[in-house]
Amino acid sequence: MSPLKKEVLPGTLNLMVLKTLASLGPLHGYGIARRIEQTSGNLLQLNQGTIYPALLHLEQSGWIKSAWGVTENNRRAKYYSITRRGRKRLAAEEENWRRTSEIMVRFLKQSEGNT
Amino acid sequence: MTNLRILIERLRGMFFKGKMERDLEDEIRAHLEMQTEENERQGMSPQEARRAALRQFGGVEQVKESYREQRGLPLVELTLRDLRYAGRVLLKNPGFTTVVVLTLSLGIGINTAIFSVVNGVLFRPLAYQDPEGIVTLWQRNTQTGSEREPVSPANFLDYRNRNRVFEQVSALRPYGLDYTGGGEPETFHAWLVTAGFFDILGAKALHGRTFLPEEYEAGRGQVVVLGHGLWQRRFGADPGIVGQKLILDGKPHVVVGIMPPEFHYLNKRGIIAPFVLNEEESKRRGATYLNVLARLKPEITLAQAQSEMDGVAMQLAQEYPQTNREMGAAVVPLSEQMLGSVRPALLILLGAVAFILLIACANVANLMLARTSVRRREFAVRAALGASRSRLVRQLLTESLALALLGCAGGIVLAVWSVGAILSISPASLPRVEQIGIDGRMLLFALGLSILTAIVFGLAPALKFSSPNLGEAVKEGVGCRGAGVIRQRLRSFLVVAEFALALILLIGAGLLIRSFARLLQVDPGFRADNALTLQVHVYDQYPSPPQQAAFFEQSLERITSLPGVEAAGAASAPPFIGEGSIEIESDFTIEGKEAPAPDQAPTAYHTVVTSGYFSALGIKLVEGRFFDKFDHAGGAPVALINETMARRYFAGENPVGKKIVVRRLTKPVAREIVGVVGDVRHLGLDSDPRPEIFLHHQQVPFGSMTFIVRTRDDPQGSMSAVKNEVWAVNRNLPFYSAATMNQLVSESLKEKRFSLFLLGSFAVIALILAGVGIYGVVSFTTSQRTHEIGIRVALGAQSRDILKMVIGEALLFSLMGVAAGLAGAFILTRLLKSLLFGITPTDPLTFAVIPSLLVFVALVASYLPARRATKVDPTTALRFE
Repeated sequence: MSPLKKEVLPGTLNLMVLKTLASLGPLHGYGIARRIEQTSGNLLQLNQGTIYPALLHLEQSGWIKSAWGVTENNRRAKYYSITRRGRKRLAAEEENWRRTSEIMVRFLKQSEGNT
Repeated sequence: MTNLRILIERLRGMFFKGKMERDLEDEIRAHLEMQTEENERQGMSPQEARRAALRQFGGVEQVKESYREQRGLPLVELTLRDLRYAGRVLLKNPGFTTVVVLTLSLGIGINTAIFSVVNGVLFRPLAYQDPEGIVTLWQRNTQTGSEREPVSPANFLDYRNRNRVFEQVSALRPYGLDYTGGGEPETFHAWLVTAGFFDILGAKALHGRTFLPEEYEAGRGQVVVLGHGLWQRRFGADPGIVGQKLILDGKPHVVVGIMPPEFHYLNKRGIIAPFVLNEEESKRRGATYLNVLARLKPEITLAQAQSEMDGVAMQLAQEYPQTNREMGAAVVPLSEQMLGSVRPALLILLGAVAFILLIACANVANLMLARTSVRRREFAVRAALGASRSRLVRQLLTESLALALLGCAGGIVLAVWSVGAILSISPASLPRVEQIGIDGRMLLFALGLSILTAIVFGLAPALKFSSPNLGEAVKEGVGCRGAGVIRQRLRSFLVVAEFALALILLIGAGLLIRSFARLLQVDPGFRADNALTLQVHVYDQYPSPPQQAAFFEQSLERITSLPGVEAAGAASAPPFIGEGSIEIESDFTIEGKEAPAPDQAPTAYHTVVTSGYFSALGIKLVEGRFFDKFDHAGGAPVALINETMARRYFAGENPVGKKIVVRRLTKPVAREIVGVVGDVRHLGLDSDPRPEIFLHHQQVPFGSMTFIVRTRDDPQGSMSAVKNEVWAVNRNLPFYSAATMNQLVSESLKEKRFSLFLLGSFAVIALILAGVGIYGVVSFTTSQRTHEIGIRVALGAQSRDILKMVIGEALLFSLMGVAAGLAGAFILTRLLKSLLFGITPTDPLTFAVIPSLLVFVALVASYLPARRATKVDPTTALRFE
């Protein structure tokens, strides 16, 4: 494993799961985990299992829902999809993150300028 | 919103645990299979692919565990698990559990019950507006030492008009209103009140209104206000009665209002009418029969009011020396007047139950200590196996809490039941019992104390395991007893304290039992069994004195001829009939003796009687003769006196044949004393006989009399027959009261019986608890000493020696407890003084018997475990552990 790989920041996993489901539609846990790994360009060190407690939390919060379905390989799997409340939450979170990163980027730039 | 949703989902998670667990299992399996396939596609061997998939997934068990934590409510689930374990542990020791739970229930239940009662009666503020400002006024008779005598009408008017400290002063006169026109005629016990009565109390009607100012004027007062009780009993709680007319004393009266249940003036008397003092009555200064109520002006203290009234009384004493020379005035707060007489007994009961709570706590502490010592090994082993200290504390805490909660549940049940029981035996003199409910604060307090006890003593051993030398603890279970000394001392101390407290309670109860027995042995001077009493007031029906006398003669003739009636008579004031009968105390002079100064004239109680009265009540003749048929209106004036009167005023001479003059009731003619009759304890078994003069009703007719009817069998069975005979003479005559003499005597003892019964029950409970306590300690120590006892037996100790050793220890504890308790009892029983009769608070018999009883209980309680100890088989004992 490359030393550059990042631990998942607390709180970001939820956002990643919501975004994945919003853009790809219903997906099972394995699919979500793979997608997150791929999107992060394998820069993220993710224990795939950790998404299951996260999925449960999202479902308890009413942002996603789940149903048993069948994969293309005829395997039984639980499919998760985003709810309306989930989309609202995602939009709010996205906005939040954009602002936070903007601030951080600006802040770091200014600090560089001073040195 | 979201948080609530999560909570609900988590709750769901708790209940659907099984299904969700299986789902997760499936989900993870599918995940791993898909990852394995993917890995194989990328060219790994099947085993390699599977291993890689597991690595990528992370720890399966950790994921499951954190999933579970997210799923349910971990805190709750852990607690439930602890509870289940605690339940198992408690069920495994049913004896221990039962004793602890019952002990706690008793402590909590009885304390809550008694406190609820005491709080409801004593501590709760009176249900009136600004109750601190309401006072009662009384005449204080400095000659007889009587502190609170009713007030005469003329004095009342002067009290009202001459003071500057009261906003309003109102007089209440106890009265009877004859109700006719609705089934059986009945006398409603009533208050006649002067203006200001309702304002002083700030009392409002529940339905309708109270009296208008003009309704207190002469000729306008044909209105009444009903009390809640009478309204429910006689008028079916119908609010429509307001505005209706009732026939009272033969005249229509409009019901203008109904008072709420907490209006205590109408608890025993049912109805209120305006009181109009007429010219004649306003001048009466010698006859004292009014209750007086007043409200202090703002800023006026009780002491100021008292000194003002002292001044007024002084003026009156100077102006009217004949009646008021010895009359002071007393200002007594209403709450003191209502509650002062029951306060000592109730506070003693409160103290007694506090003792029970202490004993219960000591007992629980003891049992918990004993048991946790037994479980030290279990806990040491668990700690050694890696259970964290907090985990062990949690476990013990849960067990203690479970016990305390079970005890609390039992306590609540017991409290509810005992409040009902206490109220059902409460004497009529206990005021304000109608609205007593369980007191939540006391319940919380008792519960808190028990939980605290359970936790402190239940937890003590767990705290030990913070110490690093677990090995010591594990070893200690194996026969090394040195470190337990402090706990042993604590337990011994608790047992000694229990015994001391129990002894104090038992001595208190013993003193009450002794006084009660003394009281029952007292000869009242008459025969209370098989006697009926029926009180009538006939002034309205028969205004003239000869008519009154004729009515009583006629009625008695009919009653006497009833089958089953042995004798019948009537008197204006027979013993034990306080309510409604008219007591007349007045001075008299003896002919031929030098007339004393007016203020030193001897006084006696005057009672008007019929000829049959003495034989009907079984009063004995000491000297001379009873009244007979020749003592009629036209005969020579005669009188009887009682023994006390004869002793006091005719010392060393025979009173028969002497003449006395009484001034009240009749013209001052000289009356010959024809006989001396036996003394009667007039006011109660604990009252002393007083000087009495009896006059014959044909010579001095009286309209308020009580029939006394002696029957052959159960008097209650003749009650309606007797009533019918009176009604045969006058259909419209109501009975003011009707009861058997035994009922009246029993009622007079009810207050004493009440405190006796409660304190007695508490003492018995304390005795049982103390017995259980010493049994617990002795059986625990002997089981701890099995090893030692085994060695002793192996070395040749006889079972007698073992018995002596074990019982000797228990005896030592109990003797120490008894010694401490005796010291406490000597100090505390003084508080009981007002409840005792015929014995001193340090009655030697009680102080000798009770300690022996307690020591005996200790012997019995320690005998059982001691005998078990003698059965120890040395070989088993030595192998034991």
